Amino acid sequence: MATTVNIVCKRTVVSTKAIEPGKYLPLSVLDRFMEKNHIRMVYYYQTSGELELGKLTKKLRETLSEMLTHFPIVTGRLLRDDMGHWKIKCNDAGVRTLEAKAKGSVEEWLRNVDREKELELVYWEDMLEKPYYWSTFYVQLTEFEEGGLAIGLSCTHLLADPICATRFMKAWADISLGNKITSPPIFHPLPPQRSQNKKPNNNSNPYMGLISHYKSIIEKPIFVKEAKYTTISMGFSHHMVQACMSMAQFIGSSSPSPTPFDALAGLFWVTLSKIKGIKNGFVDMSICLDVRKILGLDQGFFGNSMLYNKVHLEENLNLDLTENKFPQATRAIRDVVAKIDNDEIMDLIEWLENNDVNSSKMMNVHDLIITSLEDVDPYLAMFQDMFKPIRFSCYIEPVFGEGHVLILPNPLDEGPLGRVVMVTLEEEDAIKLCEDDFILLFSPTILMKCVK
Amino acid sequence: MPPILPDFSSSVKLKYVKLGYQYLVNHIITLTLIPIMIGVTIELIRLGPNEILNLWNSLNLNLVQILCSSFLVIFIATVYFMSKPRTIYLVDYACFKPPVTCRVPFATFMEHSRLILKDNPKSVEFQMRILERSGLGEETCLPPSIHYIPPKPTMESARGEAELVIFSAMDSLFEKTGLKPKDIDILIVNCSLFSPTPSLSAMVINKYKLRSNIKSFNLSGMGCSAGLISIDLARDLLQVHPNSNAVVVSTEIITPNYYQGKERAMLLPNCLFRMGGAAIMLSNRTTEKRRSKYRLVHVVRTHKGGDDKAYKCVYEEEDREGKVGISLQKDLMAIAGEALKSNITTMGPLVLPASEQLLFLITLIGRKIFNPKWKPYIPDFKQAFEHFCIHAGGRAVIDELQKNLQLSTEHVEASRMTLHRFGNTSSSSLWYELNYIESKGRMKKGDRVWQIAFGSGFKCNSAVWKCNRSIKTPIDGPWADCIDRYPVHIPEIVKL
Repeated sequence: MATTVNIVCKRTVVSTKAIEPGKYLPLSVLDRFMEKNHIRMVYYYQTSGELELGKLTKKLRETLSEMLTHFPIVTGRLLRDDMGHWKIKCNDAGVRTLEAKAKGSVEEWLRNVDREKELELVYWEDMLEKPYYWSTFYVQLTEFEEGGLAIGLSCTHLLADPICATRFMKAWADISLGNKITSPPIFHPLPPQRSQNKKPNNNSNPYMGLISHYKSIIEKPIFVKEAKYTTISMGFSHHMVQACMSMAQFIGSSSPSPTPFDALAGLFWVTLSKIKGIKNGFVDMSICLDVRKILGLDQGFFGNSMLYNKVHLEENLNLDLTENKFPQATRAIRDVVAKIDNDEIMDLIEWLENNDVNSSKMMNVHDLIITSLEDVDPYLAMFQDMFKPIRFSCYIEPVFGEGHVLILPNPLDEGPLGRVVMVTLEEEDAIKLCEDDFILLFSPTILMKCVK
Repeated sequence: MPPILPDFSSSVKLKYVKLGYQYLVNHIITLTLIPIMIGVTIELIRLGPNEILNLWNSLNLNLVQILCSSFLVIFIATVYFMSKPRTIYLVDYACFKPPVTCRVPFATFMEHSRLILKDNPKSVEFQMRILERSGLGEETCLPPSIHYIPPKPTMESARGEAELVIFSAMDSLFEKTGLKPKDIDILIVNCSLFSPTPSLSAMVINKYKLRSNIKSFNLSGMGCSAGLISIDLARDLLQVHPNSNAVVVSTEIITPNYYQGKERAMLLPNCLFRMGGAAIMLSNRTTEKRRSKYRLVHVVRTHKGGDDKAYKCVYEEEDREGKVGISLQKDLMAIAGEALKSNITTMGPLVLPASEQLLFLITLIGRKIFNPKWKPYIPDFKQAFEHFCIHAGGRAVIDELQKNLQLSTEHVEASRMTLHRFGNTSSSSLWYELNYIESKGRMKKGDRVWQIAFGSGFKCNSAVWKCNRSIKTPIDGPWADCIDRYPVHIPEIVKL
């Protein structure tokens, strides 16, 4: 189908207050590790129709400008420091902003959207040779001629994880309503290394968890399969997720009920393993979680704090019984989630710093990655003259390997357990997923289909 | 340049000698009259009232003689008052404050430059060097259409910029002066590089529904000194039309003139010119005298266009690729210096106190007759003026004038700070500078201000104003939110 999104113009939006020159902000090890990735998000809004669309975009730009005063890291540019690590020079250069027009209305668009089309709503440029002149964040404002607006935000993973990116949007929304930002961004390094009197590192502990996972990623050669990926988006209602959670428990088990993430992650793990034709066991999988609370970071912390960890299954599992598969998977996931604690994370950070990690590695090259974005609440980003977002999509690019599953909250539902799952897979797998019985058992609403 | 006196100018004694000399020469008439008057009064007292009466009667004046002499006195007085030029008052003025969203920090400017001129790194380097040494700050503004990558200078956006700048300034002026649009008798708009049809003055008349018998003028092509040319024109018109109000709008519309090519001599204006405008209300009504801020004393215009080099030094032309831009020659500063000298030669006798003029005359005669090697005496204009507004054309211009006129840092502070905060706003920069001085609370009743502007052609125009009433801070204007941060120290080179 012909492109119906036309870019009207491209410019740079700067903050309203001049920054004191000579400020630099360093990037943490976790930030630097994510150099090869970038995030793309789209927020869809229905407009009230009172303001002409051109005026709405202008107002948004003005509020963006005001908001950027609080985010000097976003308007700065990348530089390498003495050790060859990335840092940000707060030079007030600004954020590239594009304006586009699309035909039709936003509802019409949402009925027919697929990955390719959605990505047209959020502009992205890969890092230039000279990153000092490269904008790290991009905003695209697309007006739908018959009503509605889409705000596309893309940024390099070096500076922010999806949680920070949504906080950025929320801050923008707060300013547009004339309020102060609810959790103003704070830029500080990750908590410092602990003092020397910590418990001795027991090398005998087989479960090194995070460190071993990261180590394996670094040591594994990158082998990128040439394949076409597509994304599907499914919405699970509150009741369905509840049903899923109860199904994920072993019958008659007294252990605490799994969380929605555990259950849904388990569901997709099991299903995708089946689709990919893995009979005994499951496909290699890692989960990605936000560890802000574990690290005790403030709400406004701006920087990467999402970690990946491999999920292994216990030995001697009886996987022949298909009824056991789902609960086993869910339990394995829950174990990994529960095991991550402050000490382990600090160990990882220390290890990464000491080993001066070369950041040309990518996290998601091989395994199936299931990311929990439950702490993200994109639907809080309510702008003046527009109401709550009617849809939110998030992509963590580029995707390779077995694929990527993102679990996001879904507020359009009545209950708090509703979720939206965005799955990026190879085309054939995606088609099979939509038709899989196990998934269909939970009557998901298909929000975004695969490209035919 | 030290005067002809021996070189112990650092001595304090010389300072007092100078002060004494100045006081003596400047007040010579008073000083000679006072002894005479004292003498006469003493004589009269000595004579006594009877003697005075006898003296009066001996004159034998009869009625006819008395009547004739009184008529003569009245006649001479009337002729004098009729032929005196009308006083022109500057009631108030308003400067345009650009919206914060139009701000262009150095980093953004350089990035855009790099993205647009990606095939010409040398040109980008050049722009960077100019910007580093320009004396501009991080808060100068460019119009919205120049923010696009690549810039989109359409006629519509140029009109949009003109409307934004001019109407904002005029609304602000109406608010400050309480002037009603119907009361404007003369309208002069000057904008050098954008001249649409209908003209910008017609645009103003249309927007504010001004009277159909308004005398409107639109001056274009006259460069950065056009602001003072408009003031001069307004003055002449106000001599002819009694009881009138004139509004002068000075601006420069950047949108259509952003050079899109790569010639270095033509990239310079891109780095310096920024959005700005001012609207000024002048009047010859005596009712305005009380609330006017200034009174116009002199306007001196000097045109060096007769000299070919001066004529060509700021020249608008097409480059090799056919892109239009304004090229600045390297001898610009020298020509500016020459033009200034011409202007001063005319201005000097009008404003300098007698002491300075005498010294200048003596040195002039001395050089002609006795010894041509005597250094020419540069009159001390600081005695003629309390405030100086030098067109913020660029750092080099201000430096040059500071050197030539031997001004202190405080005298050129208004110009430097205007360049830093607003950039080169062409003809309106003088009004931003004046506003700076007022915002700092330095403008007192009786202070004299000298506005100097340079422009293509090559022209050097000056205006002299006298402050009519002390202006109290805080004042509403473009400096309102940032005056407390100024003056700032502007480094020689800003590292980008």
